[in-house]
Amino acid sequence: MGLSANVLNILGLVFLSHASYEHSLLPSAAQAPPQSSILPSVIDPNINLPIDVVLETIVSVLLLCAGVVLSSPDLKPIQWNVWAGRLERSKDARQIKGFGQGGGNPYAALEERPGFLDIRAKRKEFAAWVKDGGQGDKVQ
Amino acid sequence: MSLALLEPPTNANPQTALTLSQKAPTFYKSQASWSLPYPLSLFVNNESQEKWQAYENIFLACLRTGDNQSAYLYLEELTDRFGKENERVTALRGLYAEATANTAKELEYVMKHYEEILVEAPSVFAIRKRRVALLRSLGRTAEAIGALTNLVDTSPTDAEAWSELADLYLSQGSYDQAIFSLEEVLLVMPNAWNIHAKLGEVIYLSANAKEAGPEQLKALSESMRRFCRSIELCDDYLRGYYGLQLTTSRLLGALQTTKKSQQVASDPVAGDLAPPSIDAVKKLNEVATAKLAEIVRKGTAGEKGWDGYSASELIAARELLDRGTQQIQR
Repeated sequence: MGLSANVLNILGLVFLSHASYEHSLLPSAAQAPPQSSILPSVIDPNINLPIDVVLETIVSVLLLCAGVVLSSPDLKPIQWNVWAGRLERSKDARQIKGFGQGGGNPYAALEERPGFLDIRAKRKEFAAWVKDGGQGDKVQ
Repeated sequence: MSLALLEPPTNANPQTALTLSQKAPTFYKSQASWSLPYPLSLFVNNESQEKWQAYENIFLACLRTGDNQSAYLYLEELTDRFGKENERVTALRGLYAEATANTAKELEYVMKHYEEILVEAPSVFAIRKRRVALLRSLGRTAEAIGALTNLVDTSPTDAEAWSELADLYLSQGSYDQAIFSLEEVLLVMPNAWNIHAKLGEVIYLSANAKEAGPEQLKALSESMRRFCRSIELCDDYLRGYYGLQLTTSRLLGALQTTKKSQQVASDPVAGDLAPPSIDAVKKLNEVATAKLAEIVRKGTAGEKGWDGYSASELIAARELLDRGTQQIQR
């Protein structure tokens, strides 16, 4: 997806610059076009462009639009259950990205309760773990 | 700075705590900073939030692994930076004193110190919590519960304190009080999916303690509803599905044995819900079994995006599933 989106972006940019370059070369661009018969004078764009330059511009802008949308990163979940499910499911989603950013379940502290940490029990548990040879990977 | 240092160490497994505490000396050296005399020092910024978070984490990890010297170094740094009066630092100093106390007398002294602080400044919640934790650690559970109820009386929105209170009551087998405390936690934090699951577990335990009958049926269906809510809040929640599977299997049996006339009629005034119909419970049971099987399969294989489940929980879920299939085979 990333490669094709980049190709679209580059193509769009090339066509867009080519169209404007061609436009600048045209001798007719300098002359004012005849007044439009349908449009009122206020919104008459007053430009004089051959149809191929117009088409090229439109196509290149469309290509760029598609390329930018396709190359944008994945959307982040805005539904609570989807976001929470991702935290439970994958380690990547739980990774800490900085101070106060990322991390797992924000409510896990309600069950760990760092304010009530029983340090003496934790020390004993650790000493027992070392005595066991530090093998058993006790999770929690 | 390595981001691993920002990982909260309190509930990590011993291996993580050990690696964290082994980093202590090198990290300390890397943070040694020079400072310019006063007016110039304002132009230099050599500290960040990350730094102090890492200091606290390493301090806790060192205390846990018994590396008192490194812990003391870090504690002194924290004290120098934030002052002895800082609530968090006071609690950390208390933690250090607790951890390094060797005799019952020294622990008594720490307790006395906490009480002295509280006489002067009764609103230091960090110290009030430490006092409760120390009481609990000393086995004086009744006193701890008393102090904690006092604490939540003063500060009823402290979810952590309510949760600790629930845990204390649960350790004493007082299910009703534990359920009440957990419901208080949910009043403060209604989206905490793990607390919904925990409440479901406690209600399930209380249902086990009851005699078979309408009361037990009511508790089981309440527990099932709590697990349903936790799953609603969190997709693919292993703990929630585990509970749902367990409660629905029990409920199926209970619903079939309890006669219709015996079931407690729903009382809309009290907010009681009628017990669920057998069909609904059956469907939920099927959903839970299918989902558990999927989670176990993907989690054990470690598929991309499914590697976050704890190994022991996966094993427990597999055992539950195996038990279910054995019953069907019989």
